[in-house]
Amino acid sequence: MDDLLAEFVAETREMLEAIEGELVAWEAEPSDRARLDNIFRFVHTVKGNCGFFDFPRLEKLSHAAEGVLAEVRAGRRHADSRLVSAVLAIIDRITQMTTAIEAGEELPEGSDEFLIAALEGDASDVGETVAMHSAQEEAETKTTDTGPQAPRSIRLPVELLDRVMSGVSDMVLARNDLARRLRDAGNEPTLDGPFERLSGILSDVREAITKMRMQRIEHLYNAIPRLVRDLSTELDKQVMVDFEGGDVELDREMIEMIRDPVTHLIRNAIDHGIEKPSERLKSGKREIGMLAIAARQSGNRITIVISDDGAGLNADKIGKKAVASGLVSQKELDAMPPESVTDLIFEAGLSTADEVSAVSGRGVGMDVVRANIEKIGGTITVSSNPGEGTMFFLQIPLTLSIISALTVSVDGQRFAIPQSYVEEIAHGASASVEFSRVGETDLVTFRDRRLPCLTLNNVLGVKPRAAGWDQRLVLLRLGSGDLFALAVDKIHDQEDLVIKPLAPAVMQTGTYAGTTLLDDGSPVLMLDIPTIASENGLVSDVRARPAQANITEKTAVEERGRTLMTFVGLDGKRRAIGMELVARIDQVPDEAFAVDDDRSQVVVDGNIMTLVGVGNKAANAEIPTGNVKLLRLSDSERELAYAVAELGESVVITEDLASPESDKNLEGVALIEGKPVPVVDGYRLFAKHGGAATPVEKLVCRLPEGDDWVDRMLQPLVAAAGYRVASDADETADVTIALADKAETIEASDASHVIKIHSDPDAAAANDDSVYRYDRAALENALRKARIGDRS
Amino acid sequence: MRELIVILDIAGRRVAIPAVEVQSVIELDDIYPVPRAPGYVAGLTAMRSQSLTVIDCRKALGQDGTTERGERSPVIEVDGHLYALLVDGVDDVVETQSDITPVAGGFGKEWEHVAQGMVETDRGPTLLIDIHKLIGGRTAIAA
Repeated sequence: MDDLLAEFVAETREMLEAIEGELVAWEAEPSDRARLDNIFRFVHTVKGNCGFFDFPRLEKLSHAAEGVLAEVRAGRRHADSRLVSAVLAIIDRITQMTTAIEAGEELPEGSDEFLIAALEGDASDVGETVAMHSAQEEAETKTTDTGPQAPRSIRLPVELLDRVMSGVSDMVLARNDLARRLRDAGNEPTLDGPFERLSGILSDVREAITKMRMQRIEHLYNAIPRLVRDLSTELDKQVMVDFEGGDVELDREMIEMIRDPVTHLIRNAIDHGIEKPSERLKSGKREIGMLAIAARQSGNRITIVISDDGAGLNADKIGKKAVASGLVSQKELDAMPPESVTDLIFEAGLSTADEVSAVSGRGVGMDVVRANIEKIGGTITVSSNPGEGTMFFLQIPLTLSIISALTVSVDGQRFAIPQSYVEEIAHGASASVEFSRVGETDLVTFRDRRLPCLTLNNVLGVKPRAAGWDQRLVLLRLGSGDLFALAVDKIHDQEDLVIKPLAPAVMQTGTYAGTTLLDDGSPVLMLDIPTIASENGLVSDVRARPAQANITEKTAVEERGRTLMTFVGLDGKRRAIGMELVARIDQVPDEAFAVDDDRSQVVVDGNIMTLVGVGNKAANAEIPTGNVKLLRLSDSERELAYAVAELGESVVITEDLASPESDKNLEGVALIEGKPVPVVDGYRLFAKHGGAATPVEKLVCRLPEGDDWVDRMLQPLVAAAGYRVASDADETADVTIALADKAETIEASDASHVIKIHSDPDAAAANDDSVYRYDRAALENALRKARIGDRS
Repeated sequence: MRELIVILDIAGRRVAIPAVEVQSVIELDDIYPVPRAPGYVAGLTAMRSQSLTVIDCRKALGQDGTTERGERSPVIEVDGHLYALLVDGVDDVVETQSDITPVAGGFGKEWEHVAQGMVETDRGPTLLIDIHKLIGGRTAIAA
């Protein structure tokens, strides 16, 4: 049965039960005004509710009864016993119908007309009275037939649920304690079985209790149509609202927490987003604006998208406002990408509304919305196309009280970090992690990204220290997109924790967001990651953002140099290999190696991989005893294992490699810290040890040689599109890219496709196999087309 | 008006809190410190499946010396949060024999903040403490 309908039935039943006594008393004393009022209220409510559903008979009945009772209340009619009986008969019929609706049956047959007619003052016809009585009897027999149906839903105070929930948590703790004792006592088959059973039941109960707190997001949706209707009438706009994913369930409390922010977003969308019908027609849209609210569950998070097809956010206007209100300077604004400009609406003190309206107020708004969403561990982002509409993305956790968290420890004390912030974890000693210290600040370079690094020791003031290789790193991403690393002594486990609020004295430290008990009963504090980050100046505020953007651009330029991974081979010589080939680093015991005359293989993670790096003649290779480090190289389709004696560091080289002379296994020689380091040719490595499984041959694309722009910009793009760049002059290429302005003759004979690249957009537009050099979409499109053409 | 109060020993003084405020008296097991918390917050401890904030009453009152841990602790609830009070001793529950009265000249700088007044008991005059002010800590009072 529909939720709403179930609620209607439950409510009607509840009221019927409540007025049952009243009915009897009213019958005895028809002049009792208070009782009359109660009964009047009941029929009135039923009538109101029926309007919602399609129950014309029910509505008619309650309407008739309401009318008569209203007359009695007004003193125009006297409540004689005949009238009382007639009203009672109607109420009985309502009960009967409600039962039928609940059971999902057809409404009882029979006309209600005589019941209604009996209400009339001049109804003196005996037949009608008899009919009325028969209806009453019918109702009675019906009730006895089915028996008093137990209500299928009950209302409970949330506190009671919370109490049950904490009781179950207690039981889990007690169970864990018992488990420990049982383990200590040794194997006890007579106890172990029942104990297992108990554990199973307990986790079922725990799950059920958690579900009890869940509510469909429909409950949030229910109030929206009315809000939309009222607002659009007030503003002379036409808005249609569309809901999706009403069956997504989330914690009751969470629904309450997002009610205000969602309402605010809807108000904004109608007030500022959707235009007046005349404007909409002018800009070629339907005069009715669309507002869509969609909820989706992904893992333990819910995404709510609120979108409208209104005017969109005006980045220019927002920018101007931001400058006018001193949020950013004009210079800073100019440096901002458009997305960052629209994000400014979440800053305090910025309202794009020209006039202050009663609907969305002024200034206070989006910053509060964001604060409220972040308070419950969610995030909000906006994307907007001018003239086409605006979309707000809300990401919120499923429940307030149960949070998936990572437990870490420093100095033997455990802390919890909400999983939603955790991007990745890494070992401090991993080769992809490099620590450096600038002044008193720790920095960490992870996968070629330099990130600020906090040590939890320093944050908490527990044995302050610098971040080091003996620690573990938790990479955290904040709602604002900022990424930083937190160094901790140990990373323990990921657990679902029931988070409880903290005492104000502890809360005021600003370091913790809540507390919880671990399974062993010890309390653990949950870290307040956003506050910690902002206290340490790691949240880029608006002013810092453009500056940061510049930095990333600069590093991007630097990174056009190549990153090499240095290592010491098994033969004791230092070498390097392109970092892009290194997928990961592994360590395997020496018995995992299988080296014969013509074959060298190694078992990693249960797979046999081709082993390289053991010398030209495999038979001569000496596998060191103990654990051996492996570089796992990948060309994105196949993997090779390269055995090394020692890992070095990653180095960025900007200069070209020196020629490898005659050694064909080398790509070249790099100058690293003043010393020549041979660079292994990854391409040749894969060509030689391709493995039996022939991979899908990548299409080959020939690029113009000796052009800086091609090397820097075009090559990565072509590679990303799934092409291999032609390396030898005699190789056949599937696609050839040529620079149109360089008056080279294009030898198209060996390629099925030629894409010409112009540096002048107009020239590119004139010719259909030509592309403007910065029109990335067109370029990618052309490459894709060439590829499809090849396949077909 | 007669009222039941729990007599406590804090820094060698006899003080009392209303018995209705005390939920239970527990033996503190492990106290897990809370880094960066104000000094009078001794840490967290677990009672059944709830965490309690442990308040060191000596420090909350700005008294010198450390409280011995091993003593029993009264557990109180303030604004929905549970606290365990770290005190030098929990004496007994007694009945007050007088109304709460002020003392001319006050109770001294440190005690004045938390004092509700003086009451007569069969142990002699006792300082009745306002637990809300006590757990608010000295900093909160100063603010």
